[in-house]
Amino acid sequence: MNIFIPLLAGVLIGYLLRIRGRKASLDVPMSAALLLMIFFMGVEAGKVNIDAGWFLGSSIVFAVLTIAGSVGIALLVEGKG
Amino acid sequence: MRFTAYVLTALLIGMAVGHFYAPDFGNLYELMLYALIFIIGIDLGMNFRPSELRKLGVNTVVLPLGTLVGSLLGGLAASVLLGIGLKWGLAISAGCGWYSLTGPLIGQYSAVYGALGFLANLTREILTVVFYPLLSRRLPGNAAVTMGGATTMDTTLAVMTKFGGREVAVVAFVHGFVLTAVVPFIVPLFLQL
Repeated sequence: MNIFIPLLAGVLIGYLLRIRGRKASLDVPMSAALLLMIFFMGVEAGKVNIDAGWFLGSSIVFAVLTIAGSVGIALLVEGKG
Repeated sequence: MRFTAYVLTALLIGMAVGHFYAPDFGNLYELMLYALIFIIGIDLGMNFRPSELRKLGVNTVVLPLGTLVGSLLGGLAASVLLGIGLKWGLAISAGCGWYSLTGPLIGQYSAVYGALGFLANLTREILTVVFYPLLSRRLPGNAAVTMGGATTMDTTLAVMTKFGGREVAVVAFVHGFVLTAVVPFIVPLFLQL
């Protein structure tokens, strides 16, 4: 399913709630959905079982350095802005 | 801080369940993602004002472009450090956290680097979920948003909304949206090298 379908449906419902003057607390459902999604993401990650040490180490190196690169550039850009 | 602990606990329990039982939950992960996106949509619909988008200005393009360039530089450094061919390192890092796309794309050329592309980008997403709450308070402006790469329009958007607020949610969504449009073209480009 396209990611835009639930997003646009949500925006529409949220907008309708707004123009009708209704308020809805989304903190609890958002937290619950997020925790469940992370659990399922963990299940998928836990299933991967190939040369665990090298893959895990290399993945962490890639993840840390790509994050550091992105954040570093952002800091440079925002510092100039 | 307490929610971060819940996130870590959910992740660790999930990994243990996946490792020891390898259950097949079908497309539950996808369904939870859509539920989450739907809830985020409601939140945006209730609170978002189009005038807020204008406040982003040039950041709409500059921030995601910087994320991609920074990610590639990180991938370059990782390739040198690990002794991996530049082609693979750049393709992996060009995924910007989009593991479900990067893994299969690279896997067409190499199963090993496809698996690494999947895991490295999944790890980026996990690190974003775990460390965004801490870094968002310490880094100025929207710099912390870039951690999530392309995932900031879906899977990490909830964490950013919860800890960064509604204004960050708009920045994160646009940031992820631009990268989501670009990544499917950039990864194959490096694989052609």
